[in-house]
Amino acid sequence: MPGNMGNGTLMKNKIKVFRAMHDLTQDSLAQAIGVNRQTILAIEKGKYVPSLDLAFKIARHFKVNVEEVFTYEEEIPEETR
Amino acid sequence: MSYILYKRSMKKNSLYLLIGCVAIALVLIFWESDELHSPLLIMVAFVAAVALILFARSRVTDLIQDERDIKITEQAMTRTMLVFWVVFCAFSIGAVVQMLQVPTFSRPPPGQHLVTLLSPRMMGFVQLGLLCLMIFLYVGFRIYYARKYGEWDSDEE
Repeated sequence: MPGNMGNGTLMKNKIKVFRAMHDLTQDSLAQAIGVNRQTILAIEKGKYVPSLDLAFKIARHFKVNVEEVFTYEEEIPEETR
Repeated sequence: MSYILYKRSMKKNSLYLLIGCVAIALVLIFWESDELHSPLLIMVAFVAAVALILFARSRVTDLIQDERDIKITEQAMTRTMLVFWVVFCAFSIGAVVQMLQVPTFSRPPPGQHLVTLLSPRMMGFVQLGLLCLMIFLYVGFRIYYARKYGEWDSDEE
C-alpha cells in the first residue's frame, strides 16, 4: 500500500522486498536504524511517509540508493483513468 | 523510590510506576493544600512533580521515541491547542465582560449566594473543567493520529 502524501502524490517503497532479500525481520531492521518496529511496519504499509533522513538510513542499511527503495509517483486522477 | 531516582538509568515500567506514585502524592497534596488554605503548596508541588517526571523520563533507556512518535505527538498537540484556544478565549472573553460589570453587580438577597457560571467562585471549577477538556482532547487526538500512522497495525510476519 503506497503512502499518500496528501498533495496528489504517492510514495511507494520496497522495504519488505529488501528485508526479504537480506533475511531481516522488521524488529532487527528497526533496531539497526534506531526506530520502533511499528514505524517500519507503518512505512511498509504506506501509513507513514519517512523523513529524508530516515529514508537515507534505510537505503544505506541495504547498501543501495534511496531511489531503489523509495519511489515517488504522481497520483492519476480517477476521471482520467 | 530514591534508589530508582539515583540510578543512572531506569526502565519504562519503573517510569510508569513513578508517575502513578507522583499522581497519588499530588492528590494527597491537593487535599492538604485545601485543608491548609494554601494554594501555593499544590502549585509548587505540581511544578516539582512535572520536573521530576521529566527528569526520570530522560533516564529511561528502553523507551525509543522516533520521528513517527514525535509526529504523532506534534499533530495531537497542534489539534488540541487549535480547539482549546477557541474554548479558552470564549471563556476568557465572557469572564472579562463579567468583570467589567463588577461595580454594578446586584447584591444577592441576604443569606443567599449568587453563583453564576463566570462568578469568581466558579472560575476555578471552570478552569479545572477546561484543563480536563484539554487532557481528553489530547488523548483523543493522540489515539486518532496513532491509529492513522499505524500504531496498532499488525503484520503477517
